[in-house]
Amino acid sequence: MQDLKYELKKQIIEELNLQDIKPEDIEDDAPLFGDGLGLDSIDALELVVLMEKYHGIKITDETVGKRVLSSITSMAEYIQEENAKSK
Amino acid sequence: MYITASSTISHQPTFRNKGFSSTISALEPLSELVTPDYSAFIQAMERRRMSQVLKMAITCSIDCLEQAGLSQPDGIIVGTSMGCCVHTKNFLDKILSANEGLLSPTSFIVSTHNTIAGQISLLLKNHSYNMTHTQNSLSFEQALIDGMLCIENGSSHILVGGADEEEDEIYNMKERLNDEKIHLTCGVSFFILSNEKGKQASINLVDVGSFGLINDFSGIIMEFLVSNKLSPEEIDMVLYANSEQEKTEELKTLFGHGKIFDYQKITGTYFTNSAFAMNYGIDILSQREHPVFGEGINKVLVCNNLIPENLGLILLANKND
Amino acid sequence: MKIFVTGIGVVSAIGLNAEENLRSMKSMVTGISKSSTHNLMLGEVKLSDEQIIKMFDLPNEDFSRTTLLALLAAKEAWGNNKHHSGIRTGLISSTSVGGLDRTEKFYFESPNDKSSASYKLMTHDNGRTTERVAVELGISGFIGTISTACSSGANAIMQGARLIERNKLDRVIVGGSDPLALYNIKGFSSLSIYDQDICKPFDESRKGLNLGEGAGFLILESEQSIIITRNKPHCILSGWNNAADAFHQTASSPNGKGAYLAMINALIKAKITSEKIDYINAHGTGTGNNDLSESIAIQKVFGDNIPPFSSTKGFTGHTLAAAGAIEAVYCVQSLQSQLIFPNINFSIPMKETGMLPETNYRSNVSVENVLSNSFGFGGNCTCLIFSNAN
Repeated sequence: MQDLKYELKKQIIEELNLQDIKPEDIEDDAPLFGDGLGLDSIDALELVVLMEKYHGIKITDETVGKRVLSSITSMAEYIQEENAKSK
Repeated sequence: MYITASSTISHQPTFRNKGFSSTISALEPLSELVTPDYSAFIQAMERRRMSQVLKMAITCSIDCLEQAGLSQPDGIIVGTSMGCCVHTKNFLDKILSANEGLLSPTSFIVSTHNTIAGQISLLLKNHSYNMTHTQNSLSFEQALIDGMLCIENGSSHILVGGADEEEDEIYNMKERLNDEKIHLTCGVSFFILSNEKGKQASINLVDVGSFGLINDFSGIIMEFLVSNKLSPEEIDMVLYANSEQEKTEELKTLFGHGKIFDYQKITGTYFTNSAFAMNYGIDILSQREHPVFGEGINKVLVCNNLIPENLGLILLANKND
Repeated sequence: MKIFVTGIGVVSAIGLNAEENLRSMKSMVTGISKSSTHNLMLGEVKLSDEQIIKMFDLPNEDFSRTTLLALLAAKEAWGNNKHHSGIRTGLISSTSVGGLDRTEKFYFESPNDKSSASYKLMTHDNGRTTERVAVELGISGFIGTISTACSSGANAIMQGARLIERNKLDRVIVGGSDPLALYNIKGFSSLSIYDQDICKPFDESRKGLNLGEGAGFLILESEQSIIITRNKPHCILSGWNNAADAFHQTASSPNGKGAYLAMINALIKAKITSEKIDYINAHGTGTGNNDLSESIAIQKVFGDNIPPFSSTKGFTGHTLAAAGAIEAVYCVQSLQSQLIFPNINFSIPMKETGMLPETNYRSNVSVENVLSNSFGFGGNCTCLIFSNAN
């Protein structure tokens, strides 16, 4: 789980081009949007692409998207759930 | 009408370097962009989606506002021929590689031509007039004319810029200009047009002309001068970019050998390089006795004939002249 | 000073000229249909590039569809106008695609051949697509192109009016043109705002936009110009304004600040109060964000007195840079024929505003002033007001 979270952080920094930010700077449970990391609606779309590109997970429902993409922890948990389902 | 601030980022050390016209020399063949440290002007979170040209434009805008002591302009006008074409190419590549998969939208949304003017308004939280002109080699002149209209209609300070980035893959500039030898560069220049003289040195923007599909090069220049009640003898310096040698000969005939100067030696070639030439002219006019061009330069004409069929004319004068 | 509108021309998914566009709206027939090539709802102009080239007997060269669509509409608007030494005539077009339709074709056809000159096209730049139209219309001198995404067409019209007002031109052909480009189809899809069915502007269940293609052009003239041309004015362009929303690169602000400012300032320019507006041709793209933001801005401007309004994008699709120009033509037709266009596909009002767009084609109504809204990426908001000439 910790490895997955670290991977996610690295992928987010890479895909969203978060200059001057290191994986260690992103807290697992801090909100990604708004006050936390300060991502916006375009980043949300980028995160949906990231989930498909790196983890093979399609997010098509907006409510699911909002819940899953709220923090590193929620993203990691969702990836594990979905992977477990497909096994 | 006055120009109360000017700022250029280019292949030359022009940024925050007043008097640059007396120190810079002709471009070296493999010159590169001379960039300031953008982090001093734009925060990291804002910078991350910005292409080079956008960072240059925002930095020049901030520099201009500081020079003029303004927090907000009354309008933001940009001339750009190719817009954000590096992002256009990125998104084309993404379409190619994505097949049926999801596409990342960022390159798409920042590839519109008005990204530059729009992002400046966004960063400044400026709600005023916002416009983008894209008329290949006359994009900057069109923007400048728009800025003059704003001032004539009662605005006090208008931010006007010319911006183009270097992208050689989707657009063949060399073929368009029918010249394999041109030195492709890129650059961004911004200015503040004002209805009043600035605290610091300011220059008169006397008139701007934009002429498409021309058939009488010298005739249009003469008409432009006459409409400003001037004769060619009264112009002290002509900064020109010519598409054809015969046009250069026509300029020599009109203005005399010693007065004309090919600005592309300094700016390199990109569609809005007349904006850089205008700043070069401003810099020359701002110095009472120019170390290179001597004294007594009070009127400068920027004559942009980068594309044979298009002609842009910008007339600058010292404010007391 | 009055800015007279003396000519109109339009091509869209619902018709190849002004008359055909009007007829389609009267019979409530949309031009949006499932495209076999893209498997998406698109508003395509039912003419191939080859057909247009043949129609105008154009030379055998590489034309961007932006130029070809513009020619259809600009030539219709130009009609029997003639060049005259006493009239300074200009052309201001607008486009977001420019020559990208040609660029992408070659790019996708030979992706591994990036060094060859074959796809390095000279039609790519926007200005070139306008110059090609100028050549066909015999115009030289003031030739300009605006590119402010989806408000471009309205901005080109505004520029023309401003140049006449400041006595820089006497007559100007203004408008916009955009063809469908895979680039934009993929782009808007990537933003998750593309409706898989026909779009439903201002409806609670709206899911997004459909792209369309087309062009619209107007002839604007000064008073001195119509003395010489003897053109009969259809109406006047009485008000215009552009303002920045300064909220987000793609999304409109929740309070519709830019749209509000553009509408209010256009009314001030036209020297009329909001009650005088008889019809609003809304931007109404069908996206959740635009239609809500625009509705809130309209409520703020008009209060309890919201005039009949509709989005015509359910007919044409969103034609991007051409939209503001095509809809300006519709506004002129509204004044000319005293009618109001329907907003098709509407059934449930938005829960936030409860606003009801006009859903019927209404003729024999009194229309004296109409407002046209156009908003684009980068928060670019432009409003035009057309009024009866008398």
